[in-house]
Amino acid sequence: MSTVTNSTQPDATRTVFVPTGSGLSFLGLLKSESIKLWSLRSTYWSFSLVIAAALGIAVLMAFAMSAGTDPAVGAMGVDNTGMVVLVATAGLSLGQLIVAVLGVLSISGEYSSGMIKSTLTAVPNRLPALWAKVTVLFGFTFLVGLVSVVGSFLVALPILGAKDITASLFDSAVLLPLLGNVLFLALIAVLAIGIGTIVRSSAGGIATVLGILLLLPTVVGLFSFLVEWVADIMPFLFTAAGSQMIAPTTMESWQAFLVVLAWVAVSLGTAALLLKRRDA
Amino acid sequence: MIQAQSLTKYYGSKTAVDAVDFTVQPGKVTGFLGPNGAGKSTTMRMIVGLDRPSLGSVIVNGKPYHEHKAPLREVGVLLDAKAVHTGRSAYNHLRAMAATHNIPTSRVHEVINLTGLESVARKRVGGFSLGMGQRLGIAAALLGDPATLILDEPVNGLDPEGVQWVRKLTRQLAAEGRTVLLSSHLMSEMALTADHLIVLGRGRVIADASVADIIKSAAQDTVRVRTPHSAALATLLAGADVTITNVEQDVLEISGLTVNEIGDRAAAAQISLHELSAVSASLEDAYMKLTQNEVEYRTGDTHAEAEVAR
Repeated sequence: MSTVTNSTQPDATRTVFVPTGSGLSFLGLLKSESIKLWSLRSTYWSFSLVIAAALGIAVLMAFAMSAGTDPAVGAMGVDNTGMVVLVATAGLSLGQLIVAVLGVLSISGEYSSGMIKSTLTAVPNRLPALWAKVTVLFGFTFLVGLVSVVGSFLVALPILGAKDITASLFDSAVLLPLLGNVLFLALIAVLAIGIGTIVRSSAGGIATVLGILLLLPTVVGLFSFLVEWVADIMPFLFTAAGSQMIAPTTMESWQAFLVVLAWVAVSLGTAALLLKRRDA
Repeated sequence: MIQAQSLTKYYGSKTAVDAVDFTVQPGKVTGFLGPNGAGKSTTMRMIVGLDRPSLGSVIVNGKPYHEHKAPLREVGVLLDAKAVHTGRSAYNHLRAMAATHNIPTSRVHEVINLTGLESVARKRVGGFSLGMGQRLGIAAALLGDPATLILDEPVNGLDPEGVQWVRKLTRQLAAEGRTVLLSSHLMSEMALTADHLIVLGRGRVIADASVADIIKSAAQDTVRVRTPHSAALATLLAGADVTITNVEQDVLEISGLTVNEIGDRAAAAQISLHELSAVSASLEDAYMKLTQNEVEYRTGDTHAEAEVAR
């Protein structure tokens, strides 16, 4: 920076500036995506709301259960352990919607603001930026989900204890369903990033992902009354497979997990293909 | 160094950039000029891989942009001031950009100081003025201490102090041996900043030469004359190669004759002159002529040939 500007200086005496220093790395991209995620207010709002909804609904449900008569509890058709799991995960269904929106916004917000141009000039091969975003949001959503269900479990247990309903967190019949719910939550975020990347608009992305979560089961359910074979695809819907993953009925847990993964893979694969091919 | 070869971009049936060839040399400020829609921004986007060329290629510092191990250290780019998430602070935006290349936070503070953003660095970008947005864009471009800088309309929205600062900065960066490609519609500013010019018109390169050569080739020097007898003088000087424009009451602008010729002939005819001065052609004149010619070539070849013949 010490060179003095001199327009009469001949070109030959000018040296070519050669850049030095560190370059792109996946670890750096993870750090960058974490900074991006945690430097927006919407992230704090969304994650706080996921946890608050989970805890709030768990407390409400626990009180409702313990206030009811014993036959009412029995009518749910679950044992004590199942009851505790139900209470600890009930609020996460609201969290699923919040996380879906957050996932879409994490990429559609880059398109609507123009940030995507900065992101893609820093990472011209593009795909590593997508993988980093997916990894970071999956990781933090998993953590938030874990805090939600474990927190819900801990606040619900004393309330349910009044009715002698109890369970251990480290009982695999409790822990596995809780972790399954958390995993599904984090995978919803990944599905949503894929959809957000494909449609590149917040409104369209949110509509699509909420359609998959809320509307699709109802619509397909209605069609199954008209067309017989449609009933057979019901278990392969994203939400159906998500619940089968945790409480298997028509298919094994691992099969349901593979169906969920297939949905995520199609969303993310299409997103990757389009991100690579399209002009930014 | 930026080298474009038959670089072409189609958007549907429209040709935005039409087989352009050019080289942007290190150690100089190269101005990138052209009317709106001439293909400047598209070309810049193709250089950094945001748009894929339909045909041809462009390489930066010896390689296609995406093949560099540290792209931000090779090229710093300001495409428009809006390449930032509005909900994020300037500081966090730069920190996120720096993290991708493991550029230390000390460099983030350096570019914030360099661009004069200290007082607003922690504020959300959504509330920035156009000028502040430009400064942030320039800060982001400088982050990797890159060998090549591409700045699309960097002085847009800057105050006079900011305009002067960009001029000094780009000249200094070029003097350090870097490649600087700069677009602007402010011709007077470009004349002060650039060494070399590439002019685009309708997706084609219509001029690629030094600033002095472009002014010399495209625009004529004129002579400004103030006289109470302007009508008589105009009649006296009229000729095939002479253009006379009555720019205001009693003031003529004459091209095709030198100051001496006009003075002598006026004296011989006993016409009194109150002012007689040579006016050098400006870059703006040359630019208007160049881009106007571009249009003329499209509408009628006979007129264009007549221009050349003269």
